[in-house]
Amino acid sequence: MAVVEGAPSRRRASQIGWRAAGAFLRQREASIFLVAVALVLFFELKSNAFLGSDNIKNVTESMSPFALIAAGEVMLLICGEIDLAVGRTFAFAPAIVWLISSPDKHHLPIWLGVIVALVLSAAVGLVNGVVTTLLRVPSFITTLAMLYLLNGITLHLLSGSQQFMPGGPTFQNIFGSQPDHYFLWLNSEFYWAAGLVLLVQFVLWWTRFGLHTFATGGNLLGASEAGVNVRAVKVVNFVLVNVLAGFAGILDSTRVTTIVPLQGGPDYMFFAVAGAVIGGTSLFGGVGTVIGSFIGVGVLTILQTGFNILGYSAFTFPIIIGLAILLSMVATVQFARLRNLGRFQ
Amino acid sequence: MEMDELTETETHGVDRATLLRRIAIGGAALSLPALATAREALAAPTGAGGGNYPAHPKWKFAFINHVTTNPFFVPTQYGASDASALLKTAFTWTGSTKADVGEMINAFNAAISAKADGIAVCVVDKSAFEAPIKRALGKGIPVVAYNADGANSGPKARMAYIGQALYDSGFAMGERIATLVPKGDVALFIATPGALNIQPRIDGAIAAIKQSGKPINAKAIATDADLSKELTAIDSYYLGHKKLAGMFAVDAGDTQGVGQIIQKHSLKGKIKGGGYDLLPGTLKLIQQGFLDFTIDQQPYLQGFYPVVQLFLYKLSGGLVAPADTNTGLLFVTKANVKPYLTTQTRYEGSSSKQKYPVS
Repeated sequence: MAVVEGAPSRRRASQIGWRAAGAFLRQREASIFLVAVALVLFFELKSNAFLGSDNIKNVTESMSPFALIAAGEVMLLICGEIDLAVGRTFAFAPAIVWLISSPDKHHLPIWLGVIVALVLSAAVGLVNGVVTTLLRVPSFITTLAMLYLLNGITLHLLSGSQQFMPGGPTFQNIFGSQPDHYFLWLNSEFYWAAGLVLLVQFVLWWTRFGLHTFATGGNLLGASEAGVNVRAVKVVNFVLVNVLAGFAGILDSTRVTTIVPLQGGPDYMFFAVAGAVIGGTSLFGGVGTVIGSFIGVGVLTILQTGFNILGYSAFTFPIIIGLAILLSMVATVQFARLRNLGRFQ
Repeated sequence: MEMDELTETETHGVDRATLLRRIAIGGAALSLPALATAREALAAPTGAGGGNYPAHPKWKFAFINHVTTNPFFVPTQYGASDASALLKTAFTWTGSTKADVGEMINAFNAAISAKADGIAVCVVDKSAFEAPIKRALGKGIPVVAYNADGANSGPKARMAYIGQALYDSGFAMGERIATLVPKGDVALFIATPGALNIQPRIDGAIAAIKQSGKPINAKAIATDADLSKELTAIDSYYLGHKKLAGMFAVDAGDTQGVGQIIQKHSLKGKIKGGGYDLLPGTLKLIQQGFLDFTIDQQPYLQGFYPVVQLFLYKLSGGLVAPADTNTGLLFVTKANVKPYLTTQTRYEGSSSKQKYPVS
């Protein structure tokens, strides 16, 4: 009796297991998450320093600025645009903080410096958004121009040289703690990144604005005919990505303790966009996930740190990163194809 | 699986070496002739640790560089590699390709996590490296700075600096400029203003020119880190300032650029030129007389000495502490440029071959 009863329930359990696995794999973030787990296992097998607390701290604080930039970039990519200049906003915002709050300059309170810097970062996004949507210049070109413009402005602001990031110990603890002062084990920059990523993902999934963002990128004409103010959606997302990039710059300069006019730049933007794309966001709009970009950026950082720990030469490193992006993209695209096939059957 | 095998082979490798050595020692004790050999061996000892040093772990030193793929540092890597072969140690070469401090710190932290036995780092930032360096020192990892040494003044956490005394070299260049140019406008080109491996040179040069008391008006001009953009920048600056009495540069690319612009506009003798480092183009321009001088800071030694100093620190248990080492300030002019041009050598990075004599 018991055996007869047990068999179907076991079968049911295994069915539930399969269904759960299937549901997991249908998630857009699944493939990149599996890649991340595989990489962590690979590096841990190669060197037991990889899962050491030191290295976990290193990976989490390295990925934070990219995760923040990628979160904003995902929103913009979903509504069918891109901002190439965010790496420059990353340097511009801390330069403003320095100008306002440094003892060498105006020496005003640090919170004022941060607020003004974020407002000006938002203004950069506003200009990008307005020029793109109202003057109808493609965002690739608008933000390419902004990339140069902002770099020049930052170089002037800092007179081309390196400056100390202002802010006392409390500010440092909250906005980019120093290694000896991690009050929650990890660098505070990481908590900001993780928190803001979740917040942006929430906005994307559960708010009307998120829905409009998807609609704008998925079907521009349809969305605008359905009454979505597609221009406003795009402008807001331009503002969002620049505020996030500016904030990331402030956090990172606080962690690193200095501001360099050439910090960030196109490399940071490409790293963040690469993370977003391998995390499951489409370059053609309409599709994307912020959490996926967080994991995507994590994968790239794990690769970088992992191979650093193994001591691979800087000459080999770009080859590895290039192959990794290619392979993970091929895997993601093919995985999505198989998934869709399964659905159509 | 594969990794396990790798680690195992490595362990076996070390064991086998130790075993062989023990067998050799044991065998030597067995026979008198062998004892004689052993005595000879003591007179000209060849230890398993390189030279006559005792057997030691194969220490792994991490080099953290700000421009890992820049040709300037090719001889530095040869220097580190040669010293490692000599002393039976190993080194890794990581950092940033474009002087990104955040990226360098990540590489530095990775070296700490990987339990490197020593770290050599280009301190191209005023303060960002202090905390990581202190953290490494706190974990017993010795740290030296090479090529760049952070802020001009103030206490520094690193144990020693191995490289050119940057401000002093700039000062020497300024003195040279003051002798070459009696008066007038002088442009000093710099690729990345504020970068702590070149900015101190320009500061030194301007200070020396001021101190000379001559009516020279020196102005720092920023160009770019990219060679072709540097060339354009220098060309257009010249076209806008044709009355210049001299054009000088504090980095490798700009120095070659200055020479090429002097050549392009046939300004030999009219405009004095000079700068830093040994790009093949720069050397040729010196030979042809378009440039008056360039300064050799011996990048080979900047890789060689850090390995030696870190090795001695480890071997002596900290009794031999790393010491500041000036890798030199050698003016290369038309008079002594010839051997640089005719020799393809590992010491200048123009060849990877080990060769003696060099030419």
